[in-house]
Amino acid sequence: MDSHYADVPENQSALAPVDLKPEQLSLQDPRAVLSLLEADQVVAAKRRTHFGRKNLSIATKALLWGLRVYVVAMVVIVLISVYQAFHAAH
Amino acid sequence: MDAPDKNPSLLAGQTAHPTTESAVASAAAPELIGLVTHEDVDRARDRWEVARARWTGRSKKFGGIRLLWLLVGPGVLVFLGENDAPSMLSYSADGSRYGVGFFIPFVVLTFIMGFIVQEMTVRLGAVTHRGHAELIFDRFGTFWGFFAMGDLIFGNFLTLVTEFIGVRAGLGFFGVRPSIAVGGALVIVVAAITTGRYWTWERITLSLAIFNGLFIPAAILARPDWHAVGHAMLTWMPFPGGSRYEILLLILATIGATVTPWMLFFQQSAVVDKGMQPRDINAGRFDTLLGALLASVFAIAAILATVPLFHHGINAADFQAAQFAEALEPLIGHAGAALFALGIFEAGIVAAIAISTSSAYAFGEVMQTGHSLNRPLREASPFYLTLFGSACAAAALVLIPRFPLEFVVLTVNVIAVLAMPPALAFLLLLVNDPEVMGEHVNGFWANVAGVTVTVLLIIAGLGFGLATVFPKWLGG
Repeated sequence: MDSHYADVPENQSALAPVDLKPEQLSLQDPRAVLSLLEADQVVAAKRRTHFGRKNLSIATKALLWGLRVYVVAMVVIVLISVYQAFHAAH
Repeated sequence: MDAPDKNPSLLAGQTAHPTTESAVASAAAPELIGLVTHEDVDRARDRWEVARARWTGRSKKFGGIRLLWLLVGPGVLVFLGENDAPSMLSYSADGSRYGVGFFIPFVVLTFIMGFIVQEMTVRLGAVTHRGHAELIFDRFGTFWGFFAMGDLIFGNFLTLVTEFIGVRAGLGFFGVRPSIAVGGALVIVVAAITTGRYWTWERITLSLAIFNGLFIPAAILARPDWHAVGHAMLTWMPFPGGSRYEILLLILATIGATVTPWMLFFQQSAVVDKGMQPRDINAGRFDTLLGALLASVFAIAAILATVPLFHHGINAADFQAAQFAEALEPLIGHAGAALFALGIFEAGIVAAIAISTSSAYAFGEVMQTGHSLNRPLREASPFYLTLFGSACAAAALVLIPRFPLEFVVLTVNVIAVLAMPPALAFLLLLVNDPEVMGEHVNGFWANVAGVTVTVLLIIAGLGFGLATVFPKWLGG
């Protein structure tokens, strides 16, 4: 569970950007925090928004499946080579 | 749009899109202001330091150096983390079996490949503020997401085991008992993660990682022939002789020592956790380049440190870390051998921290639980438990009597190379996706470089596969 940093009145609506000058900034003020972060960088914003699913073309699916088969085949070959190496060593 | 009182969350269910809009100026600001967390505050503090460095940097002669100091981190860590125990052993095998020649420029080439790939993760992280696993699940769905995660978790765990093997072997040279060596390494990993602050964790890990440079004095004590080194860099000669199968295996292991899936996931998540933004991309590139440069110098130093074994005809085919150091002792002295052993220990520690963090980031992103080193333990217990649990499990395996350590070390770098093409395919698809990257989408030459690296890795893997199935083809 997140612990929220500051309690803000529910009726607070308009937000003025904080003047980000040295010696004046206080990160106790959540407006200052929001002034320093991008809109999509705040944890709550990231949690609630998502890049949607991409429609994969046939070619992309074929590429991903081809690479998947490649990895599985190669893992089998690695196991064979390790078995051979141990067999030769002992 | 519904009135705010009918729609309690302006954000819920919205599609994310690349933006550089300040959170305070966004439409969701009134809602976000009550949802600011400690993680946001810590990240804002880091951004504040960067903003101050930018302002003061304009008026001071060396002001840009402070800015780079603040933004350097993920790139250096990922490359020095990848100069891990099995990687340094691969470089040592190159030097001890083939001397100064082909493998020195080849190592430089692999780091160029590494830079090409890792630069894309900097852009992805800075633009989307999301980790690699999270983006794969978002854009490709759970089916492909779990495939990618399967490769990552399997590879990460095997690699983590080899890091503790390196720790054990490195300290074994000094007579430290395995349980004490491995237990001590675990304490360091835990100490690094319990700071509750990404910045502190990053600086602690960086200060440990710089000891990867121990291989440089070890190489100097080995008195390398600099003329031969220069000749090899220019001509890639002499090319290694002997069994072509063994050479291919070493080539594959050397690539696997530089370009691996965990690096993609780690650097992107670290860029996000550091709070980097699109305006920091050039600094991120510098960070990545610096990391690749340092790591390639240290890797070449590991090769040069073990070249005396080649000149004295010592067969290092089955050497592990401690054996390398022991065999080097009469040739480069106790100090050189001790530096080599300490270097292997350091490589294991830093990689154990980075790889376990990579697994934890990916786990947190997929499970949609807190996944930041800026969060205290109570707010991100699954993240920290994954990190600590994976490190403990790997450490425990290394201490099991008669556990086939040799098997794991032998296969880990090769598996890393073989798992890389699918990981690169996801990376290239994401970084070419305008809905994700906006104006920072890959350019033509970045795609040429990325596809070339992918094709080279596939060819290397297929060559290995053919040589294993048809050993006579390469005289294996």
